[in-house]
Amino acid sequence: MHTEDRINIEIFKVVTRAIAESNNLEIMAKHLAQLLVGALEIKGSTIFATNVETKELEVLGSFGLSIRYMNKGPIYISRSIKSVEKHKAVVVKDVKDSNMLQYASDAIQEGIGAIVSVPIAFSGREIGVLRLYHHDTWDISERDLDSLFVLAEIIGLAMMYARMNVAISEVKNIVGDVHEAWLE
Amino acid sequence: MDAQRILLPYNFSQNDQKALAFVIRTFGPLENSELTIFHAFTPISEIEASDHQSATAKLKRRLSYLTQELTEREMALQEVRQYLISKGFHRDKVRYIFKSRKSEISAAIIEQTKEEDYDVIVLNHKPGKVTRFFTGTVFSKVVTALRDITVCIVS
Repeated sequence: MHTEDRINIEIFKVVTRAIAESNNLEIMAKHLAQLLVGALEIKGSTIFATNVETKELEVLGSFGLSIRYMNKGPIYISRSIKSVEKHKAVVVKDVKDSNMLQYASDAIQEGIGAIVSVPIAFSGREIGVLRLYHHDTWDISERDLDSLFVLAEIIGLAMMYARMNVAISEVKNIVGDVHEAWLE
Repeated sequence: MDAQRILLPYNFSQNDQKALAFVIRTFGPLENSELTIFHAFTPISEIEASDHQSATAKLKRRLSYLTQELTEREMALQEVRQYLISKGFHRDKVRYIFKSRKSEISAAIIEQTKEEDYDVIVLNHKPGKVTRFFTGTVFSKVVTALRDITVCIVS
């Protein structure tokens, strides 16, 4: 069991800097996943975006998990690790002893012992999930969980900023295609 | 007739499998096609650590041990090459490129295409993906940036 605090202010600075310095959400998500795996000494980490139409979680960035596990199948919001209370984290301390997983046998085969799932919210809506995968059973400290919540809020802001950025670029491209002759 | 140079960006997803099947079906029987499987990976995050004993220095050391993911990906790319050979592509006409990127994937594909002058790019597209709202659409960026090339979209 690991209950010691692993995310101190120094680590938090490195992680938030990775978010602030990236102008590409996909690369930011990948770097963030790498840094969390390194800082928490865990097996893997994934940042998902919520697709409200298909009711699935889509991978934005991931690190540490095998290609086979990543391709295990669609992750349905209703069947995957889900909090009973809205905007609450879920800690699956022992994967072998949980009925909350959609792909439990795949997780065991992957060598995952425990999973922490933190919602990514923006303006009161869940727009994604941050998931951390430990090799072993895991009792994450309350303080680290708090830090992950703050981090998830920052990721939420970064996601919405990226969304705006993409939208503005698309508008710019469309306007750029308008020939002056059309405006005369 | 000159050889037809094909670029297949590959990211190990299930949709990439569809693009792979399309390449085998369409270009496999052609003798004069040269195929490049292309994967551009995100390198390990750079961290500045002033003090050797600091938490960030320890994190930096730990990250350097985490490169096995890249090894696994490169081996998987070699397996894709072998698979293509087993499906009829000539050994000398299938290669793979595994390189790091600092920009988005569309920029890496565009750069690679301009560098090596391909005739055809095979991309895949899964309609209705929400991640596209946050990162933009790869195929539209590639299609609008390149000229005099055939872009096949496998959906």
